[in-house]
Amino acid sequence: MNAEHSLSRDERIALQNRKTGITVFQISWIMVFVCLCIVNLQIRSNFPSWPPAGVAALDRILPTIATLALIASGVTTQRGVKGDLVTQWRIALGLGIVFTLIMFAQWVTVDTGGLGAQYGTIFRVMVAYHAVHAVVIGWIMWGVVKKAARGDYADGNPLKTWIIEGAARLWYFVIAAWVLFYIVLYIV
Amino acid sequence: MATISVPLIGGRAVEGKRFGISDILRWTVDHKVIGIQYMLTASFFFIVGGALAMLIRWELLTPTLDIMADGQQYNQLFSIHGTVMIFLWIVPMMAGFGNYLLPLMLGAKDMAFPWLNAFAFWLIPPAGILMLMGWFVGQAEAGWTSYPPLSTLYSLDGQTLWAMSLHLLGLSSILGAVNFIVTIKNMRPVGMGYFQMPLFVWAILATSIIILMATPFLAGALTLLILDRVVGTQFFNPAQGGDVLLWQNVFWFYSHPAVYIMVLPAFGILSEVLSVHARKPIFGYRAIALSSLAIALVGFTVWAHHMFTSLTPELRIPFMITSMIIAVPTGIKVFSWLGTLFMGKIRFTSAMLFGLGFLSMFVIGGISGVMLASVPYNIHVHDTYFVVSHLHFVLYGGSVFGIYAGLYHWFPKISGRMLDERLGRLHFIVTYISFFFTFFPQHILGMSGMPRRVAVYAPEYQSLNVVVSIASFILGISTFILIWNVIVSLRAGKRASANPWRALTLEWATSSPPPVTNFIGDPVPYRNPYGYGSESANAYLNALESAYGPSEHPSPDAPKAIKPAPAAGD
Repeated sequence: MNAEHSLSRDERIALQNRKTGITVFQISWIMVFVCLCIVNLQIRSNFPSWPPAGVAALDRILPTIATLALIASGVTTQRGVKGDLVTQWRIALGLGIVFTLIMFAQWVTVDTGGLGAQYGTIFRVMVAYHAVHAVVIGWIMWGVVKKAARGDYADGNPLKTWIIEGAARLWYFVIAAWVLFYIVLYIV
Repeated sequence: MATISVPLIGGRAVEGKRFGISDILRWTVDHKVIGIQYMLTASFFFIVGGALAMLIRWELLTPTLDIMADGQQYNQLFSIHGTVMIFLWIVPMMAGFGNYLLPLMLGAKDMAFPWLNAFAFWLIPPAGILMLMGWFVGQAEAGWTSYPPLSTLYSLDGQTLWAMSLHLLGLSSILGAVNFIVTIKNMRPVGMGYFQMPLFVWAILATSIIILMATPFLAGALTLLILDRVVGTQFFNPAQGGDVLLWQNVFWFYSHPAVYIMVLPAFGILSEVLSVHARKPIFGYRAIALSSLAIALVGFTVWAHHMFTSLTPELRIPFMITSMIIAVPTGIKVFSWLGTLFMGKIRFTSAMLFGLGFLSMFVIGGISGVMLASVPYNIHVHDTYFVVSHLHFVLYGGSVFGIYAGLYHWFPKISGRMLDERLGRLHFIVTYISFFFTFFPQHILGMSGMPRRVAVYAPEYQSLNVVVSIASFILGISTFILIWNVIVSLRAGKRASANPWRALTLEWATSSPPPVTNFIGDPVPYRNPYGYGSESANAYLNALESAYGPSEHPSPDAPKAIKPAPAAGD
């Protein structure tokens, strides 16, 4: 907070703009995930049962483990923001990789032919769409970790360290979006 | 004794060089240049969309095929006409007004994210090119609504380009909306709370909220459409367990609110124009401001009225009710505007004339909208020319008239030159009459049963179609009166002072055109942006005039004894 007071008025406004901007953008972008959930629900409403009769349901155990890993990565991300960023975020990224690999395995093996066409393809679209976000935002976090390891944020300049808060917020977004998908894909 | 706020005036800033064609074509982060880039790009596509409309009306002069080789070619015409007019003319034009005016109205130097602002604009030209490139590969032909299976099984590759183009335009809109909201929230000047903001800013805020929440649904729908067309998924193919209504639901969840994306900024323009040119405080400021938010909110609950013929019957009545409810906040605005005009000292400037034109024509579009919200009537006129008439009364009579009013009002600020008022009045008269005779008879055609989106029609509809086509040609020509006016005025128009209309909002508290930093020093907003007629408002305006030169159009509330000072550049 003291560091922020050292900024000029224009710099403080610029910092505030970034914080507000990322929140506003996240509110908007989560709607794409909501849209895909609604698409899933409407498609399944055309079938008497879901998955359609004769199609094997997706395994829930591994995705649940993956989801827990992703949520745990959120906890370590938060710890990293408060201190020891390099170690905590490396753990977070490791957990993110575990999540991505598990979901990739299910993405590859899901049935998308014949009776399972709709069941499999909407699953693939949702998971792939989420994965793109996870990978891109994970990449941003990795960049922050590298810079932190080099000591780029040591001076505590809020205009520089803001990226830590920004990347963390984006990762929380990845987690929140996935929880939404998890509920629709595996629970409802 | 009333406290009189006067602007902090540093000195008159004069640009070192004039705005040239090279400024339009280069990357810049100046919101004013970006605003002009938006406006010029949108205007180009207005001409393109207008030319397509002329071809449509030419074809419809007779009941048989004339200039089209077949119905497919006609389908391509109206599909791209609608798409271009909505996504490449009205939406970016409103973004242009927002970009140019918002920071000025808030007394800010620029938008919150100047680089992002430029990026959002530069997504539009490639999107427009992508859209028009469809003609080289088989243009989209499923209408601007692109319902499957027309858009999946029958349209050619141009339909894929259409979807990609809309993806880019949607992203541009979202980035622009983020910028607007952050700018409004964080960059208001000291002394300007939310309820001291100009109503145009409120309108942009409400529009941005709609864009933020609705456009992602368009992105979702377009992604599925592209996947069906390119990858071979079957989301919209009922034969494979897909659902054609899926598209309609998701598309209209965006596209009905999109109507308000197009018309809310025009409402904002109207509030500014009516109050300034009637020299009266706006009637019901809070009602107008909050009704914009109400429209944004209720707008999300009405989408299925576009699907009354395909909707589950038990859902029709709830959507009919919400569709009628949305007329309430709109009605609040209309009556507030009438209250503003009542007993005002109205100056019939070109801006005011188009404002009045907007008010009268939009009300007709609103009433036909309430008629369409009624399920029995909707089913009777479903997919007929009544719908075409309704949407043009709203989007031309509302949005385009609003754009014209805004252009006449703010052209002096943007260019430093006054538009020719005689040409402006001629433009209004020709546009107003030809607009009415282009679209009003379409109500009758629709009620008589003439379907929309057909090139060949029953002979008994021809006489009214001839009237419509001739009027539409005049309407098309009327646009060139404005273009001529702009060209002539830019070259030899009277130089504009800082505040030619004696308006109270902050964009007028700087030179015309404004300097790069918009203001010299931090401007002080007048506490009520519509407080015309009060002693303190006159003092504020006089302070502006003494700094920047007198108004070109002294108003009845202006003091008589102002000593004329030379305008900038004289």
